[in-house]
Amino acid sequence: MSSIQNLPKMDLPKIKRIIAVASGKGGVGKSTVSTNLAMALHFSGKKVGLLDADIYGPSIPLMLGIKGEVNQATTQLPLNLNGLLVMSMGFLVPKNKAIIWRGPMVHRALTQFLTQLDWGDLDYLVIDLPPGTGDAQLTLTQSVPLTAAVIVTTPQEVSLIDARKGLEMFREVNVPVLGIIENMSYFVGDDGKKYLPFKSGGGGLLARECSVPLLGEIPIDPKIAECGDDGIPIRARHPDSAVSTRFSEISNRIVEELDSSPMMPALPTLEMT
Amino acid sequence: MLKIPKRLRVVDDLRLEIDWEDLVVSSISIQRLRNACPCASCREKSLEPPNPLRVLTSSEMVPLRIIKMEPIGHYAYKITWSDGHDSGIYSIEFLRSL
Repeated sequence: MSSIQNLPKMDLPKIKRIIAVASGKGGVGKSTVSTNLAMALHFSGKKVGLLDADIYGPSIPLMLGIKGEVNQATTQLPLNLNGLLVMSMGFLVPKNKAIIWRGPMVHRALTQFLTQLDWGDLDYLVIDLPPGTGDAQLTLTQSVPLTAAVIVTTPQEVSLIDARKGLEMFREVNVPVLGIIENMSYFVGDDGKKYLPFKSGGGGLLARECSVPLLGEIPIDPKIAECGDDGIPIRARHPDSAVSTRFSEISNRIVEELDSSPMMPALPTLEMT
Repeated sequence: MLKIPKRLRVVDDLRLEIDWEDLVVSSISIQRLRNACPCASCREKSLEPPNPLRVLTSSEMVPLRIIKMEPIGHYAYKITWSDGHDSGIYSIEFLRSL
């Protein structure tokens, strides 16, 4: 009997909707998308939480300007950043310390983040998943009442092959996929021309192939990296930039999509006769 | 398109009946359900050649019962059996195929 299977199923009645941000492949900008999506939802007046489920490589703290460990004796977790609630493994360990854990420990950490911290009443909890289809994904799909998932990809095939797997995983576990977000779609040069360094149309192609919407295309903008490293997401520092506008459009679309489709009912429980 | 169960019941400890959203009703004998356990160790065992001289264990001498059948996410159930076995995760799709 594995310990994963014997840990309790989570009941999170105070969180209305839980959105997983996944990709399959690493390095496509999941954390950037998650952070800015959470920001966009937060700025639209929703109560939002952001959970960094990347236990081994948490990057949300850096992107939100939290450097190093958080003193739990003086600071309550999840951190409240002007109303946006945030939790990450990066708040609990020194910046350069590696987390060397097997799957059950990852499961336990995620379970504790979700059930033992006071998230209060949330409209949305955005979960930034690590790459792949492993322990963290399995924990969340098996024990958390996920409302939906969004898949982040870059346009080129090497990203699409893993994004397909990520999408397929959510389909297999019957979690609705709201759509694809294509990151690093293009950049506009100083000459005003649009350049396509990673090819074009991959996100749209995947969306059509899997019959899900393309939620939006995020351009490359050096300000994204600059803002991430400075700990102020672009959606907060440059709210009128093209990238921020894309994030707002995507978050509006996600809200509309979720508002217009009925919540998936829980599976029935067994009756003994 | 995945069909979703609307109601599950164990009848007389002998069979599991599932009413599906498309009005189909499945009736699966408890023994068949256990034989089809998709966990790694049961799958492994099912590949071993049958041993005609195998001695039954004490838990095999009494009829098996389902103690619990808990939903896992939106896609599966975990069954806890009266002999303590509980590692099989039965996806809805798999239950529908039985």
